[in-house]
Amino acid sequence: MIRLQDIEKVYRTDTVETLALSSISLDIAKGEFLSIMGPSGCGKSTLLNIMGLLDAPTKGDIRIDDQKTVRLSDKQLAQFRNKKLGFIFQSYHLINDLKVLDNVELPMLYRSSTAKERTQLATEALRKVGLSNRVKHFPAQLSGGQKQRVAIARAIVGKPEIILADEPTGNLDSAMGNEIMDILLQLNKTEGTTIVMVTHDENMARKTHRLVRLFDGSQVQ
Amino acid sequence: MFRHLFTLIWNKKKQNFLLITEMLISFLVVFAVFTLVVFNYRNYRKPMGLEYENVWVVNYNNTLKTTNADSVMLFYEGLKQIIKSMPQVREVSYTSANIPFTQNSMMNGLDYKGKHINPNYCQSDEEYKNVLQIKMKEGRWFGKEDMNVSKRPIVINSTMKEQLFGKESATGKLIGDSKDLKIIGVIDDVKMKGDYTDAGAWLYVKIDTSSMPGIGRILVSVVPGTDAAFESRLYKTIANTMKDSNIEIEHLTNKLKDINYFALVPMIILSIVAGFLIINVALGLFGVLWYNINKRRSEIGLRRAIGATSGSVSAQLVSEALILATLSLIAGSFFAIQFPLLNVFDLPAGVYLTALALSVVFIYILVLICSLYPGRQAAAIYPAVALHED
Ligand SMILES: Nc1ncnc2c1ncn2[C@@H]1O[C@H](COP(=O)(O)OP(=O)(O)OP(=O)(O)O)[C@@H](O)[C@H]1O
Ligand SMILES: [Mg+2]
Repeated sequence: MIRLQDIEKVYRTDTVETLALSSISLDIAKGEFLSIMGPSGCGKSTLLNIMGLLDAPTKGDIRIDDQKTVRLSDKQLAQFRNKKLGFIFQSYHLINDLKVLDNVELPMLYRSSTAKERTQLATEALRKVGLSNRVKHFPAQLSGGQKQRVAIARAIVGKPEIILADEPTGNLDSAMGNEIMDILLQLNKTEGTTIVMVTHDENMARKTHRLVRLFDGSQVQ
Repeated sequence: MFRHLFTLIWNKKKQNFLLITEMLISFLVVFAVFTLVVFNYRNYRKPMGLEYENVWVVNYNNTLKTTNADSVMLFYEGLKQIIKSMPQVREVSYTSANIPFTQNSMMNGLDYKGKHINPNYCQSDEEYKNVLQIKMKEGRWFGKEDMNVSKRPIVINSTMKEQLFGKESATGKLIGDSKDLKIIGVIDDVKMKGDYTDAGAWLYVKIDTSSMPGIGRILVSVVPGTDAAFESRLYKTIANTMKDSNIEIEHLTNKLKDINYFALVPMIILSIVAGFLIINVALGLFGVLWYNINKRRSEIGLRRAIGATSGSVSAQLVSEALILATLSLIAGSFFAIQFPLLNVFDLPAGVYLTALALSVVFIYILVLICSLYPGRQAAAIYPAVALHED
């Protein structure tokens, strides 16, 4: 499903060069639930962003669904992210000025859809994460766990084949974290969604199919 | 997408209210300036309606001891003949102090069939039209046949004719409270107050013997190229005839310059003030949009992550600004349209409507310029970078 080949990422600022990733090669199968662990600053987010086409690698090749992604235009990349990928972030990244339902509908705005379809799909996604009773709330009126569930609903509303989650439980206590983890596991099991998750929590990682450890930008396991 | 933008704008109504108010105020200022500019320009485009080059004005005051009307008349007719006999002089006319291009005004209310107007009253004589080369629209100017008639003959200008009679002909009509004024002709409009001021309504009466001592101006049209030497000769000739009178000779060309300046100064001052205001508003708009966009970097990153192209992000931000502009322009137009509806300053409705259209376009362009750069800047943000910051 996702194939990384010899990925290298160098961040250049005026004064320093940071080698965030070096020669990472990774094959992720369809339907796999993969977790990535490693100490802070080792390049986990960078790797996930590159997989999600949010950032370009300095060197190397990324194939998603057997399709080369280097040299895609801005418009093609946007389409790709919209149709194939769903993102979940540690800090949720909800739009505070939009109600829960509008937040979840957001990805559908960037593909051709009617207002009715959008509402229907968003309502369904919210039902899957157990938030049917919060559609008219604003994000500020929700708890952290609820916010993250809204973010999951937003990630799955477009029925993407891949979900990339960067420390989705990082801001939550273990009970809430487990709830989120259960939703992801359920998603992986019933819909066959491929999930790549960055985590600091060994217990979470143990529940996934495979664990990749990074250290200083390199894969160690 | 539009519905989405409206939802977003509506949910942020508090922040947006300030921006809309700012746009509304700048719209009203711009509207005021454009109204003045359009009005001045429309007046400027109209023909002057008179020949002012080579026309001089003699200011004098009556110093005759006699009050006998016939001897007064005889004296001034004699003076006219003396001036007219000079080779450089073409035509000579007596007139009241509201000559072309002065601030002097003499107005009098007048009612006609339920209409009330306030025309300028000008006293003149048979030669006045020729001195200034005014064109007749209908009827005729004063002549010898106006002696000893029962109704007082008057000539009016086109503006006054339209105000009273619309498209009808005015010649032969009787006006005035006791129907004692008979219109014998209508002249083309003359911009008596300079290039930038509209003609207004004018009514010309013939100077009669009893009012002659109160007249204080002589208009003299001279042949082109007449020089200062002749001017001093003219001065001496008049001074010799009118002992003890304060005589002063002016040129209409100079008076036109002065009165044009007078009309333009308020417009220039207002434009400068408006210019500063607009710069202020532009910077304010730019600042607010810039601030908004920087505050929304994480939103921008998120939108990019879920499928927005950089183009659609900048289009969204620019559209939001333009929607806000549209809201304030709707409110602003509602205020602006009251001016022609209530006829606040007695300007033609066309002036207001042109100014309204220009102001709308102006504000849209201003908002577009102010939002385009921040919008493009926002679109250039890398999604990963925007999401990283929190
Ligand atoms: N935009 C950037 N510019 C320069 N350096 C960067 C940038 N983003 C990340 N880095 C550097 O790249 C390295 C990897 O960062 P990354 O965010 O991937 O770490 P991480 O493993 O996700 O850490 P954490 O667990 O704290 O989230 C770090 O040394 C970081 O300083
Ligand atoms: Mg990270």
